[in-house]
Amino acid sequence: MSRLEAKKPSLFISDPLTKDTVSQSLSLLNRILKSCYGPAGRLKQLHNGVGGYVCITSQSSAILGRLSVSHPVLKVLTTSVQNHVARFSDCGLFTAILCCSLIENFKSLHVPSCTVIKISKDLLSLCTDYLKSEACGCRVSVDFSNLKTLLCLVRSILTSKPACMLNATEVEHLTMLIVKAFMFTIPCHVETKAVLGKCVTIPVKGRRVLDSTVLPGLLIETPEIQFAKLLSVKRISSDTIKIAVFCVSMSGDLFNPEEGMITVHHGVSLEMSELNQLLNVGKQLVNDEVGLVVCQKVIHPSLKQYLKENQVMVVDRAGLSVMEPLSQMTGSKPIASTHSFSPSCYGSLKDVCTKSFGSKHFVHLIPNDTVVCSLVLCNRNETTWDELKRACETAEHVLQLTIKEPVALLGGGCTESHLASYIRYKTCSLSTSSFKDADYSQTQYQLIADAFCCSLESVACSLSHDDKILTDTVYGHHWLVPSGFPSVSNWSDLLSKCGCGINSNTQNLNWRLLRPHFGSPTLQSCPKEPSVKTADVLTLDCFAAKYSGLQVAVETANLILDLKCIIEDQN
Amino acid sequence: MSEPGRAGDPPLSPVRANGELGALVRSARRRGGRQGNGGRAGNLATAGAAHGGGAGCPPLLGDLLLLTPNLLPPLVFLPLTRGGKRCCPLAMAFRDVNSRRHTGLQQLSSLASAGRTLLGPMKSCKFVVDESTNQSMLICSAVRLIESLDLSSAAGQLLNETIQAQNKEFKTGMSTLLFLVGAWSNAILECLQQNVPVSAIVSAMSEGLNSCCEKVQCLQISVHDVSKELCSTSVRPNTSSSKTYEFACDSFLNPQIFLCLQKEVSPSIELVPRNSCSHQEADSNLNKGLVSPLAGFGSIASPVRSADGNNASVISGSGVSASSCKQKRLTHSRYFSALATSPSSRQLDDSQVCLSGQSAHPCECYGLGHLARALSHGNEPNMKLLKSIVAYQHEQAECSGSNQFNIAEVVTCCLPGLPESYSCVCPGFVTLISPEQATVIKHFGDKPLRILLTEGDLTEAYRHLGFTKPRNVRTVLERPDLQEGRPGDVWLNTALDILMRSQVSLVLVKGHVCENLLERCVANKILVVGSVPQKVLSAFGEASGAQPVTYLTQLSASCVGSGAQLELWTASDGRAMDLGELVPIRIRVRGLTLLTAVLTTAVPAKMQLVEDRFWTFVYRLHHALRDGKVFLGGGAVELLCLSHSQALAEQTLKLANKKPVKEFHGPWLAASSAEYKPVVLQALASGWSQYLAAVMCNTAKATSLFEARTLIEHHLKKAADCGSPSAYVLKEFQTGGMFRGGPVPSTGNAEGCRVYDNVTAKTEAWRRALDLVLLVLQTDAEIISGPQSNQLLNSPASSEFMFL
Repeated sequence: MSRLEAKKPSLFISDPLTKDTVSQSLSLLNRILKSCYGPAGRLKQLHNGVGGYVCITSQSSAILGRLSVSHPVLKVLTTSVQNHVARFSDCGLFTAILCCSLIENFKSLHVPSCTVIKISKDLLSLCTDYLKSEACGCRVSVDFSNLKTLLCLVRSILTSKPACMLNATEVEHLTMLIVKAFMFTIPCHVETKAVLGKCVTIPVKGRRVLDSTVLPGLLIETPEIQFAKLLSVKRISSDTIKIAVFCVSMSGDLFNPEEGMITVHHGVSLEMSELNQLLNVGKQLVNDEVGLVVCQKVIHPSLKQYLKENQVMVVDRAGLSVMEPLSQMTGSKPIASTHSFSPSCYGSLKDVCTKSFGSKHFVHLIPNDTVVCSLVLCNRNETTWDELKRACETAEHVLQLTIKEPVALLGGGCTESHLASYIRYKTCSLSTSSFKDADYSQTQYQLIADAFCCSLESVACSLSHDDKILTDTVYGHHWLVPSGFPSVSNWSDLLSKCGCGINSNTQNLNWRLLRPHFGSPTLQSCPKEPSVKTADVLTLDCFAAKYSGLQVAVETANLILDLKCIIEDQN
Repeated sequence: MSEPGRAGDPPLSPVRANGELGALVRSARRRGGRQGNGGRAGNLATAGAAHGGGAGCPPLLGDLLLLTPNLLPPLVFLPLTRGGKRCCPLAMAFRDVNSRRHTGLQQLSSLASAGRTLLGPMKSCKFVVDESTNQSMLICSAVRLIESLDLSSAAGQLLNETIQAQNKEFKTGMSTLLFLVGAWSNAILECLQQNVPVSAIVSAMSEGLNSCCEKVQCLQISVHDVSKELCSTSVRPNTSSSKTYEFACDSFLNPQIFLCLQKEVSPSIELVPRNSCSHQEADSNLNKGLVSPLAGFGSIASPVRSADGNNASVISGSGVSASSCKQKRLTHSRYFSALATSPSSRQLDDSQVCLSGQSAHPCECYGLGHLARALSHGNEPNMKLLKSIVAYQHEQAECSGSNQFNIAEVVTCCLPGLPESYSCVCPGFVTLISPEQATVIKHFGDKPLRILLTEGDLTEAYRHLGFTKPRNVRTVLERPDLQEGRPGDVWLNTALDILMRSQVSLVLVKGHVCENLLERCVANKILVVGSVPQKVLSAFGEASGAQPVTYLTQLSASCVGSGAQLELWTASDGRAMDLGELVPIRIRVRGLTLLTAVLTTAVPAKMQLVEDRFWTFVYRLHHALRDGKVFLGGGAVELLCLSHSQALAEQTLKLANKKPVKEFHGPWLAASSAEYKPVVLQALASGWSQYLAAVMCNTAKATSLFEARTLIEHHLKKAADCGSPSAYVLKEFQTGGMFRGGPVPSTGNAEGCRVYDNVTAKTEAWRRALDLVLLVLQTDAEIISGPQSNQLLNSPASSEFMFL
C-alpha cells in the first residue's frame, strides 16, 4: 500500500535582490572574499566545529568548495565562479569580488536592470576588445625562449597564497621546480598535434619546502617491506624493460555480483579457483618476458610471490592518479581483465630504480621519452601542504594556458586600475551623437560606466589590507603606500614601485588616492603603455584566466540583476 | 594565587600537589569541559611572571562547545578578532586599539603555557589523570601532553598537527616548539595592541628568524671536531663527579648549608642561590625578600583536561613517584629515575654486551661516547644504554664494515615492575610471551631452530589488504561428515600440518595469532610470537634467510629460515623474570644485527615516559650524526639569537631615524615599513628571552624569572660590550660559564658538562613554531560548516557569528 502525501505548494519570491537578507549575505560574502585577496590577504579557517580537519586557506577554490550557501542568488554566483576556477584554476577571487561589487554598485544606481545589462555588456566588450588588441597597455607578451616571464608568472601565483608559509628562498626554489616540471611535460618531437605530458605531485608532508624536487618519470610509493627486497629486473635489452599495467584488482576476490546468491558445494573454494586464474595470468606474464607489473589495485600475495620468484618486479596499489601518465609514458594499455589480454597491451621502460624521501619509499620508473615527471612536494605540515599543492596546480595550469596564448597581464592591481582608467577615458570622450539610436541616455551611460570602473577599482583596492592605495594618472597603474604614514601631498617620497613592478618612481606621475567612489576624475588622455618592459621581477597574471574571469563576473552579475523571481520547490 | 583575568575559569577543585610535580593534569571525558583550561594547567607562576597582565584576557576557547543544539543555516562565519560590537561583527578593520585581540593567538598561548615545565634538560613531569577511570600516567614530553589535551578548537588542532609533524620527523624539539609558540603568540598579541599591521609583523618576524638562523651558523661544530675535542679533554670521567652528586644529594635537605659549603669549595664561581623545589623551604630559607613567582611552582594544582584516557596506563602509587621526584631539582642525575636507586648502584652490569676495554679505552664508545654524553642533556640512565648500543654496533661494523650507528636496528622492550637498574641492551629480539608458551623453550635447548616469518594475522578469517569477502556465497553440504568436527578445525589442522611438515619451530607473526592455533602449537612444540614489528621481521629475514609470507599455504622450502636460538631473558644478576602474566624471552640468529633495549621501571605509570626518553635520546644522536654537526647547547644558540634580534631591532631603529623610509622590499612582498620593524623584532627577541629564562628556572640556574632575566641581561650587556656577541658566546661556552650543563657548580668538572644540541631539529622547531603563529595571526575568520553550524544559530553566542 502506498501512502500519498499532499504536495507542498512552491514558494514564490519576487524581486529577490530587493530583500535585505540577500544584500546582507551578498555583502558578507564580498567581505569574506575581499579579505582573502592578494599576497597580504587574510586567511580563513574552514572546519566543521567539532574537531575535524582544519583547512587554512585564502584560495577561492578551497573556500567556495566548502561554503554551503543556502540562498539561490548566492548559489548562482558561487557556482559560476567555481565553474570558472574549474576551467582556469586562477583568478577565482578576482571574478567573485568583481561580480559582487558589480551587483552592489549597479543595484545602488536605481537604473532599470535591462538598461544596466545592455550598457554593461557594451562596457565588457570595450574591455575585452582592448585586452585583445595589440595596443593594450597592460599586457606583456610571453617569450618562451626566455624563462624570465614564466618565472614571474609562477612566482606571482605562489606569493599570492600566504597560507603556504613560504619565505623568499623557498618561493624561488619552488618557482624553479614548477617551471622545470612544466618543461619536462613539453614533448620534444612535435608532430601535427602536440599533447602536453603530465606532472604528478608526490606528497611528502612534514619535510622542509627546500627538500622538494622534480624527477623525470614516475614515482610510485611502495611499502618498506617491498622496498627492501626489490630484485634486479628482467630486461629485454640493456635499456628496455617490458611493463604490464593492470587497472583491475588482482587481489583474488570474486567479481562482485550486486544481488543474488551463489551456492557452492562444500569443498569447492571460489577463492582457490580465482587464485589459480591469477597464477595463470602470472605464467603468461613470465612467458611474455614482462619485467615489471604495475597494478592500480591490490595483487594477491601468492601471485606476488610467484612473480618475484621469476624475477618480475611487482608494484601494486599504484592508485588511479598514476594510471593515465603511466600509460602515456610507457605506451602500455591498462589491462582491465585477468582472464584474457593481448601482448600488445605491454609497454616499455628505460629503467627502474628505487628512491626514498624521508620515511617514504618509491619505485622510480624512468621512461625513454620524458613527457611525464614527478614533483616531490614537501611542506612542513599537512595544512600548509594542502594549500601549497593547490597553488602548484594552479601554477602548472596557468603555464599550460599561457603556452596556448603567450600573453600575460600585469598583476598587482595594475591591470584593473589601468582598465578602469581606460574606460573612464573612453566613455568621457564619447560624443552625444553616439547615443541617438540608443534607448538610454548619456547620463545613464556615464553612471553605469562609473559604477563599472568603481567595481574594477575596488578589486584592485582589496589587494591592500593595511595600506593606502594610489593610482597614477599617466599609466593608470596601482601604487601602494604602507600604513602608518599621514596623508601627504608629496607621494613620491614614499613610493618605489607600482603594483606589478613595471614602473618605478622616477618621474612625477601625478598620483591620487584610489578610492572606489563614484565620480572619480577622468584622465585627460588615454593611459599609456609603460615605455620599458624589462624590469626583472614583475607581478604577472594569467591572461586567459583574467580575461575569462572578467567575462564571467559581468555576465553573472547581469544574470543576477535580471532575476525577477525565485520559485522554490519545497518538496 | 590566581592570575588576573583568569577568574572566569570554572571552579575546579584544586588538588594539592606535592611541590615537586610541575603540575597535576586532570583529564576529562571526551569534550567534557572547556578545553581552554588545559592551557593554564602548566605553570601558573611562570606564566604570570612572563606576561604580567599582558595575557589577561580570558581565552575564548570553549565558546563553540557550550551551545545548545538548534536549527539551521548551514554556514557560520566567525570573525577571529573580537571586541567589536554587534553592529560590526566582522571587525575586519582593526582600527580600534582595544579590540585588537586575536582569539586564535590567545588559544595558542594558553595551550602552550601548559608545556612550560617540559622545557630544558630538567623537566617537571605531569600527571595525566583520566577522570572517568581514575587511571593516570606520567608524562614529560610535549607530544604526550598534546595528546592528552582536548583540542577541538581550530588553533588547537593546528598546534597538534604541528607538534605531531615535528615528532614524526625528529622525535625531539617538541617542547621547544610548544614553548616558542606560546612565547611568540604573546609577543605578537602585544604587537597587535600597539597597532602594528599584520603584514608588517609577518614579514619582519620571518625575516628576523631567517637572519637569526644564519647568524647561529657560527655556533655549529662538526661532529668529528666535537668527538676529538671531548676525547682529548676528558678527565676523570666518573669518580670525582659522582662524589659531587652524592654530596649534593646529602646537602639537599638544607640548602643553606649547601650554599655555604659551595662557597668554601669554589669561591671564585659566581653563585646563584638555588631554590629547592619544595617551596616551603624556599620561602623560609632563601627567598624571603625576593618576589619569587617560582615559589609556587608546583603547589597550585593545575588541571588539564584529557580528551583521551585510553592510552593512560594504570598507576598504582602516585605517592611513590611523587616522593621519588622530590629531589630532582638539586641532583645531578636530573631525572628522578636516577633516584630510584642510589648513584653507586647505577653502574650497569653489562653481562650481555661485552664493552671491550671500557676502562682501558681513553674514550669509550669509539668516539661517539662523548658526543652522546654531550647530547644526553643529563639523561644518565639512557647514556649507559646508548653506550652499549654504540659499542655493540661498532663490533658489528668491524665484522661487516657497515656504518657506526644504525637506529633502524634498535627496538625496545618494556618491562614494568623491575627496578631501573635492570635496564640493559641485549643483542637479539626480546619480547614477552605467556608462561604456557614459555614452557616450549626448555625443549629447545641450544638447538638451532627453523624460523618462519608471516606478514599478516595468523587466523582463519584473515585475508590480505584489499581483499573483499563475498557476502552472497552460500556453501551447501551434501552429506554431513560427523568426524570432521567443528568448522574451524579444517583450517587449524591444515595450518598445523604445514608448520609440522616444514619443521618450523618458531613463527614470528606481524599481526594477531588465533588462540586455538597458539595452544595447538604449544602442544606440538612450536613457538608462535605475535605482534612483531616490521623492522624485526626484516632483520630476521635478512639474518636467517627466511622470506616473509602472508598465508601459510604460500609456504615453500625457500621461505623458511634457520639458525634461530631461543632462551628466557634473564636479568643481569641471573634472576629469571616472572612478571606475573608474561615472561620475557630472547630470540637470536647468527648474524642478526638487531638490538633490543630492555627498559625497566618499578613504577608502571612511568613506563611510557622512560620509553619516550630513551627514543628522544637515541634520535638526538642519530640526527647529530646525520647532520654531521651540532650546535653549542645549554642556551648558547638562543642567547646569540636573542642578542642578534635585539641588535637587528636597534639597527633598524637607527636606520628608520636617519633615513625615513625609502627602501621597500618590493611592493607586494609585504610592505614592511621600517617604522614597525624594531617593535616586531623585539617581539621575536622576547621569545628567546622567555625561553632562556624558563630553561634557567627549570634547571635551577635561577630561582625566579626575575633573577633569570637579570642574568640574561647581564650576559647580553657583556656580549654587546665585547663587540662580537658570537665571540662572547663561544668564549663563555669554552670556559663553561653560563652554558654549562650541570646545575651543581663544582670545580674541575666543567669540561665534562659540555652540552650540545641538534642543528636541524632545533632550527626546524623554531621555524615550525613561528609558521604556526604567523598562520594563525593571518587568519581573520573561522568558517564553520556542517551540522555544528546549525546548532550555533539560536545559541546564546550566536551574536558572535555571521550566517550565510
